[in-house]
Amino acid sequence: MKELKATNNKVTDFSYVILRILTAFSVILLFFPGVNPARILTGTFGISKNLSLFTSAISYESLVKDVEFAVMRYDYPEYIMLILCIASIVLLAGIAFSVAGCCFSLGNIKCKKTGSKLSLVGGILMVIGVVGIVVSYILTKDFDFASVGASKFALNFPTGIIVFGVLSAVALLLSVVVAIAYAKQQAEEHYWMESKYKLFLMFLPFILLIFIFSYLPLYGWRYSFYEYYPGGTLSKDNFVGFKWFTQLFENDATRRDVIRVLKNTLGMSTIGIATSWFAMAFAILLTEIKTGWFRRFVQIFTTIPNFISWVLVYALALAIFSSDGFINNFIKLAPDFFEKLGITAASEGYLGGDSHSWLKMWAWGTWKGIGWSAIIYIAGISGIDQQLYEAATVDGAGRFQKIRHITIPGLIPTYCVLLLMSIAGILSNGMDQYLVFSNPQNEKTLEVLDLYVYNLGIANGAQGTIPLSTVIGMTKSLISVVLLFLANTISKLVRGESIF
Amino acid sequence: MAKTKQEKLDLKAEKEYAKKHKKKYALKPGDVVFNIVNYGFFGIFTLSCLFPFYYLFINTVSNNSFVAKGMVNFYPRGFTVSNYIALKNVSDLGSSLIVSVGRTVLGTVLMVLASALIGYLMTKQKMWKRKFWYRFLVITMYFNAGTIPWYLNMVMLGLTDNFMAYIIPGIVAPYNIILVKTYVESIPAELEESAFIDGAGYFTIFKNIIFPLCKPILATIAIFGAVGHWNSFTDSLMLMQNSTNLFTLQHRLWIYLNSASNLQALMANPTGGSAAAAALQNAMNAKVIKYTISMVSIIPILMVYPFMMRYFEKGIMLGAVKG
Repeated sequence: MKELKATNNKVTDFSYVILRILTAFSVILLFFPGVNPARILTGTFGISKNLSLFTSAISYESLVKDVEFAVMRYDYPEYIMLILCIASIVLLAGIAFSVAGCCFSLGNIKCKKTGSKLSLVGGILMVIGVVGIVVSYILTKDFDFASVGASKFALNFPTGIIVFGVLSAVALLLSVVVAIAYAKQQAEEHYWMESKYKLFLMFLPFILLIFIFSYLPLYGWRYSFYEYYPGGTLSKDNFVGFKWFTQLFENDATRRDVIRVLKNTLGMSTIGIATSWFAMAFAILLTEIKTGWFRRFVQIFTTIPNFISWVLVYALALAIFSSDGFINNFIKLAPDFFEKLGITAASEGYLGGDSHSWLKMWAWGTWKGIGWSAIIYIAGISGIDQQLYEAATVDGAGRFQKIRHITIPGLIPTYCVLLLMSIAGILSNGMDQYLVFSNPQNEKTLEVLDLYVYNLGIANGAQGTIPLSTVIGMTKSLISVVLLFLANTISKLVRGESIF
Repeated sequence: MAKTKQEKLDLKAEKEYAKKHKKKYALKPGDVVFNIVNYGFFGIFTLSCLFPFYYLFINTVSNNSFVAKGMVNFYPRGFTVSNYIALKNVSDLGSSLIVSVGRTVLGTVLMVLASALIGYLMTKQKMWKRKFWYRFLVITMYFNAGTIPWYLNMVMLGLTDNFMAYIIPGIVAPYNIILVKTYVESIPAELEESAFIDGAGYFTIFKNIIFPLCKPILATIAIFGAVGHWNSFTDSLMLMQNSTNLFTLQHRLWIYLNSASNLQALMANPTGGSAAAAALQNAMNAKVIKYTISMVSIIPILMVYPFMMRYFEKGIMLGAVKG
């Protein structure tokens, strides 16, 4: 008898494991448009190819966005779409119930009993949902598609129906198995769950968020192997392999662009890295100021620019440097005097033109960031043992000797970490600054990799440049990760400590 | 920390010593030069950080005819607040203000709550596969798929032209979570244990003990998060291409800044009679309206700045503590 019970438990445990995996799998599939079972219509007036089951269920609006036209012009019966949407909602609810059931299944027998009921409801709902979608598919069959034109509006049997059909059938079967198994068991009085699972379940919703927003985009790398236009699909027909990778080197125009952009990126990053010690110098000099209120004042107001956006920096830049900005107004106050010095007001302002673009960008970046970057060094200086300075004073060391032999060596470890990090980020300058400051004259010398990817993929995305910009972005990401690990290894070797 | 009596005495003695040996402590000429140069440098640099804000401000509160002639350079002339009042006639500014405030408040609150909870959970060694999930979370700080896959992913999720696109992706912020986790680890474990013995569950402990104790670090991440939300501009640029009413204030400002001089065209048709409209159109000048909108987007930052001052050093120092 006991043996029988043990095997019985093993079967139910195994069913639960499978059920959990299936549920997790169906939750993930919810977000993939490729397996959306609700996409029963294709073509211009069909259901969007980028619509996932999740979106179809939560937003009727986006489900019928394009179909609405067919409804209005060709009398496509709208109630079918309603059925479709409701079926999607039911399917989603079924998955939600299954998730809840699986969560409960981690507890004691009382939990498991409730869980098995929830799983059962979930399984039933999932099956109903899939059946509902199939029903709306069958109903659509009667519609006269020829009247619209096959390319514009066509019936489609989505593979998602099979996928979710199988998933829901198996889920239902397994939940029946566990429901029967637990129906007979004696339950405890209270719900109880091991704390390790309780903690895990509290974290579970966030796992989903992290997955959707940080891991799911990686799936988009596949675009780099296809000929893709917005609104199109990825299929065997437009698979182009490494075409876009080779185009980077073989197409003259592209290669020239990429080289120019790389030059800008590396050039500006290098200037930034070469002057990264400025922040440390800033901090050291600031701590040499012994007037407390003045030091505080400087520290407060040099940090403000760090907290305003690049758009606002640009607004300030316009106010000062544009043709009717402060500089020109100031020169006009005493034109004769400035003329003697050889300075005249530039009629077009000082922000246009492509001379010294890199240096100008560096200057803006430094103006915005140096006060903030100095804070970590200031904190580092206040962490240095004061006795060292006292001892040095007794030994007759001057100001600069103390800086050279005490302050700088104390700050070098921090500096090295930040330096390694900035070397690892050599390809990522961000795009905000360069986007707001670029104009027709200087855009060629300002375009950095991030901005180039944006311009290519989103601003001009309709021209079919999405795959190419994905290739560039992907390469950039991979190189950045490699650089980061290199930096970390170097740090480990030299300092015996990793940076993250 | 209160100074002990001994310390006070020491200080006094030191001062007296300094007084007596004033000559010995007098500055050398080299030091004087160094100090002049040093003070001068920081004075000028601080001025360069302050002056643009001041310049913008005095231009927005001056009579527009003086501004148009370029006569407002160091102090306001013909003080008026009419420019700020006139902003209500600038089309789309209201909606973008609501969007920016909305995303800042909602996004920050959700981010802080989530960071607090996750930070707490991540300190719990008992959690099932804690190490794996922690890595799963932290690793996302060091790589990203790139702009285009991110954008296509947002399209796929239906988060384009949708206000939720500003909120949901920002809820889980790994860096802030690490900050909270580090902070929670510094809270004595006994506090939690005693509550546990009294029968409190994890969530109760989190709500009643951990959350209140974490307030300093939560204030820090809240301020940084709010500033980030307020300043963000590229997400609006990329994701809201077809819905101008969802542009953030920064995006709107960027459009205004780039619209050269024909800002009048952006003005909504004033409904208050044509005479009033004409008067307004005369009074408003493109430059001033740009300045005024800029000022409006700077003011909230300047308002939270004093709070930021209290927390930011703490924040950046914690950031130096590795996760």
